[in-house]
Parts: sequence; C-alpha cells; structure tokens
Amino acid sequence: MSKKTEESAAKKVVKGRTSGQFRCLNCFERLTPPPGAKTFTCPNCGYAWRIYWFNPGEPRIRGPVWDVNEAQTQKSMAENKGGK
Amino acid sequence: MALSRKIAYIDLTNRRVRTAPIPLEMRKLYLGGRGLDMYLLYNHVKPGADPLGPDNVALVSAGLLTGTLATASARTHVAGKSPLTGFVGSANMGGFFGPELRMAGFDHLVITGKADGPVYLWIHDGEIEIRDASHLWGRDAHQTQTMVRQELGDDDIQVMTIGVAGENLVRFACVMTSLKNAAGRTGMGALWGSKNLKAIAARGRMDIKLAFPEEALEYNKEIITQVTSAKVSKTMQKLGTLFIWGTTNSTGLVRVRNFQSNQIPYADDIEPESIEEEMIGTAGCFGCQVHCRGRYFIKKGPYTGAYVEGPEYTSLGAFGAEVGCTTKQTVLVGNHLVNMYGLDTLETGSMIAWAMELFEKGILTEKDTDGLDLRFGNDEAVIEAVHQIAQRRGIGDILAEGPLKAAEKIGKDAIKYLIHVKGMSNLHSDERPTPALALNIATASRGSDHLRSRPAIDLYHLPEKVLRKIYGNPVPYDGPLTSDYRDYEGKPWEVIWQEMCYEAVDCLGICKYHTVFLGPNMPNFSEWPRLIQLNTGLELTSKDIWDCADRAYTLERLFNLREGLTREMDWLPDRYFDEKTDRGLPVVRGKSIDREEFKKMIDEYYKLHEWDEKGRPTKKKLEALGLQDEPTHKL
Repeated sequence: MSKKTEESAAKKVVKGRTSGQFRCLNCFERLTPPPGAKTFTCPNCGYAWRIYWFNPGEPRIRGPVWDVNEAQTQKSMAENKGGK
Repeated sequence: MALSRKIAYIDLTNRRVRTAPIPLEMRKLYLGGRGLDMYLLYNHVKPGADPLGPDNVALVSAGLLTGTLATASARTHVAGKSPLTGFVGSANMGGFFGPELRMAGFDHLVITGKADGPVYLWIHDGEIEIRDASHLWGRDAHQTQTMVRQELGDDDIQVMTIGVAGENLVRFACVMTSLKNAAGRTGMGALWGSKNLKAIAARGRMDIKLAFPEEALEYNKEIITQVTSAKVSKTMQKLGTLFIWGTTNSTGLVRVRNFQSNQIPYADDIEPESIEEEMIGTAGCFGCQVHCRGRYFIKKGPYTGAYVEGPEYTSLGAFGAEVGCTTKQTVLVGNHLVNMYGLDTLETGSMIAWAMELFEKGILTEKDTDGLDLRFGNDEAVIEAVHQIAQRRGIGDILAEGPLKAAEKIGKDAIKYLIHVKGMSNLHSDERPTPALALNIATASRGSDHLRSRPAIDLYHLPEKVLRKIYGNPVPYDGPLTSDYRDYEGKPWEVIWQEMCYEAVDCLGICKYHTVFLGPNMPNFSEWPRLIQLNTGLELTSKDIWDCADRAYTLERLFNLREGLTREMDWLPDRYFDEKTDRGLPVVRGKSIDREEFKKMIDEYYKLHEWDEKGRPTKKKLEALGLQDEPTHKL
C-alpha cells in the first residue's frame, strides 16, 4: 500500500468551505443576508430573492420576488443588458 | 476479496445457469458496473437484434466499489439494447440491491433468451435459481417486492422488479427497487418484460473482504466530510434533488408546457420548500450520509395514506411545470404512480406534456383521447394519462410507444413538437441559454440525457482558475474554458470531461451526487485511485481510471454506430434553434441555440474525442484503447 504523507485533497477541500452566503442568480455576487431574513435584495444588481434557511446559518434562494425581478428584467431588456 | 465476485450467464429459454470468474485483466480495462456491462453489451447483443426479442440481453451489475466502505457505493447498473431508442440501453439505480448482489457472490448477470412463462431469479450465497413468477405477474413494483420477501421468508432480501408497465412492454418502463429507486431510462423494464423476467431477488452472507480495511475506513471518513460539508449536500439533506428545480426555475432554465416557456412564476405550491413541508423525514441508500430521498404520506385523494419516497427533480418537472400543473398533490401522486407501475418518470411526464401540446394545437382531439381533456394544467387528466400509459389503454397505448413511434402513429405535424434526442425525451430543463448543456443532451450516448455528460457546474459562474483545476485533471487541457454559461467556446471539453467522470462513477458503483455533478469540490479522479486501492487492492492511477471510462464510452459509441447512429442524430430539435426563451433573468431571456456555433461545437467535440467528422472513433483512437479487434468475446 502506498503511503500518503501530504494533506489529502479531501481535507484541503473541507478547509476552503464557506457558509452563511448565497450567490445572486443574476449577477453572481456573493451575498450575506442577515440571519433569518425572508428576502434579500442584491446590493449589486437590485434583484430580490426569497430566502430559505435550510440550516440556521445557511441560506439559499427559494425563489425570486417575482414582481421586483420581472420589473428589473423588463428594464434591463429595454436597455439591452441581456447581452450575447 | 471485492474482486472475487463472479459473472453469471442465465439462459431463460433453456433455464440454464453458468458462472465464471471475472479476470483481473478485464477489471483493469473496464473496472465493473457500467464499464464491463458495455463490453458485455457489445459482445453479446447481435447487430440489429430486436430490443424486445429473445436475442437482446438483459445485463445487471454492481460496480467495482459497490458494497464496500466507499461512500455511496450503492449503485446497480442495468443494461441491454434499448427498446426506446434502439441504441445503448443503460440505467443506474441506488438503493441496496447492488451491495446485496455482491454479498450473494455476483457482480454481473448476463440474462439471455426468453422464459416460457413469468419467472424471477433468486440469488443467494453463490446460488442462482430460476423460479415461477406467475403469481407475481400483474402486481405493482411495491407489492412484488413484499410478496417475494414473504415467499422466501426473509425481510432483508433485496428485490429488483418491473411493474405492470414493464409487463405491458411500455417502451420506457423501468426496473425498480425499494419504493422509489429506479433504473429509469431507456426502457429496461420493457426489456425484462419481453423476457418474462418479473424480478431478481438477492440475499447474501458472503463478506466483501477489503484490501486495507482500517485505512479504507479512515480515508472514507475524509471523503464523507468532503461530501457532507458541501452546501449542495446539506441542501439535498433537506430538499433532495428538488432543490435543483427551484434554482433553475428562479433563473428561467426549466421546461414549461412541453417547450413553450422556460419559467413558471408564482407556482409557490410546487416550490421544493413547499413540498418539503409535507416531508416526514429522509432516507438514504447503502453507504450514503447525504440521505436525499424525501419520505411522505399522501394526505388527500384516492391514495390517501400511501407512504411514498421522492419525488425528485424529474418528477417535479414531469408532473408540475411540464404539464402546466402547479399543485404538489399532483406531483406527489404522479410520482407514486410511476414508482408503482415502474415507469420512467421523465419520459412519462414528457409524453403527456407533448400530447397536451398536440391537444392544444388540435393535432389530437377528444376523439383521439376518448374524451380525456388533455389541456395543460388539468391535474386529473395527467393522473389518468399515467394510468392509461402503464395499462396501454386509450391514447396511453400510443404514448407507451415512446416519442418517435408515437409520433409516427399520430402523424400530421406531431413530430415537430417532440422534445427528444435519438428518440429519448429531454430532461425538464431548458438548454437554449446554455450551449454546454445543450451539447451534452445532443451527444449523450443513451439519447437525450443529463446524467451522461452534463457539466452542471457550468451554471455556477466559477472562475477560470477553478475550472482549469477541475477540467485539467487527469488529462491536461490548455484550450479555452470560460465562466459564462452562454458561451460556446471551451464547452466541448467540459462535456467530455463530465462523460469520463460519470462513466467512471458508474463503473465504480458510486452515486453521481458524490462526484463533480452538482458540487465542484466533490471527489473525482484525484480521490478515486486511493479509494480503489484501499478497498480492492487494485493499483490504478487517475489516468488509468480515465482510460477505463474512455474505453467504455467508446464502446457505447461503437454500439450505437453499429445500430445505425449517424452524425445527424447528435443534434437538437429544431425548436432549440428557432424559438427563443420568453422568460427568466436577462441572461437567459430571448435566447436560442445558434446553428452554426452549435455545429462548430459538435466538430470540436468529435475532434477532442479523436472521432472523425462523421462521429466515428478513428483507428488511432481504437488502437490506443485496445478496441481495434472488438468484439473479442473474452467474457
């Protein structure tokens, strides 16, 4: 059996984990909402997200705040920001 | 040792069983599971064989690491020539059957011929019996498992079975084990049904001895931490794979009403978090710490009180947005029914959604459906359609033939509205804004399929540096890679890398959620050599494992080419190019696939694979993999 002396890939990966954040699905900015927040608006792009806390300290996007994001998208499309 | 398990050849026509060892040489070439199954498929199925005839072969296998200490080593692979597509038939399932098969002494089953009446196989401690299954014929997948356990007097017996759909040769019938684990795609249930094979039961007390058990245990603890500390795993522990649908619907990457939209807004009742409110807990497969299978009781309607597992992402798509339904009750009941009947949930939902669009467009009328009102959003009609497909009644009898044959029977412009590749329906996602994912479904070896090569992490906007670290190992790659999922450039290599990654885990018998599928930092080629060495004693490098995967994938390609595959079939339905997405975030709205760019992607994909312009592996490629003389009939 070969000897493994250096730190394994598995251990290195675990050290680099982050928590308490999610990425905005529109601009990919990493966001840190206040604990327990039900919604959060991305300060970078203005898109608003409903939040689900799957653990007390770990949020994920449950879904868009539909009205807000649709208005943002309409505006963005009018300005041709969709790109590509 | 883990490598000592045998292969069994079971001739149902003559009711004969022969067993043989699996040479180490074949392990080093194909590992096990899907890899070795592809060798057996290529060698044992005669060219042009009728998928529902006695010349087709039903293959069942455990992976190289199935049943060992390796995390999530639960997988069982089922294969044959697909009754749905006529190409590679291959499906993979979790649960507990694979480990039990190994403990009963076998890694691979090669089932040939056709029994003269319903039978099931009873595999226990190195023995295989062919038993009468007349009393099981007509029973659903759940009843069958219970009856077999009662008959054999052991509650710990693991059973794989077909339901009524498989008996009725529904071309997308699947093989089931436990409540919801399905070898779902490519119609393997119909193949079993055509052989009068109702079920396989296994129970074993033969230890799977590990090469270095203490070290394997320690290393596995590291791998478990690597997997369970990932956000994606923690999310799956709460929501199962449903969470994917929530995220992709939020962006605008799901399929709605067949292919008429890419997002369904305000559908709160079918959001994963809403379905999770009904959950009474979660369950896991053999050796898994994630436990992504939601457990439920149905609380309303004719199935009140039924205990179910799932639904997963696909059932949420199938009985939700695809068919225009927005109630979780329909999702839960639809999921329950496909599991009982033994139907591929993806194909079932897709066929119903397609029929609904045909109904909307007047190609199908109430006369064709015997009065069934197939309007989008009609929950009752959706559930009734599931019954009709499984029982081959009414319009269901046509839909049970699968996309291409059903389109041929319906005629008119029906085929124009099919969302399929190679005769297999697409996942309930919309790939028009994501060329990498579009390339995946266009080229996957078993037809349109996200589990063959989907670079799902392409959606995560990962920095190029991270992408290079993942996609540059174990085969160096210095071509383009980009973080933008709308790009065409650099994506073919991502697709190929994922092909090898998924082929490898299917050979090892490990769940895809424990590799680079949904999480970029999951175990992959870097971790597998040690995992294999400690559990089996087999010394392989990362590149060796890649080569095994490449060899098996190339055989899949050769099989498909032999059965009539052409370059034109590595392509998408016209709607991907001609109709633009109408909803979602600005980055995905108004998008379609560019034909010329996509053609270039296919060219690049072939080139990277060392296939010629028609998609045929070159002589050089075949020689490099040692495939130039196949079939070699070594097993």
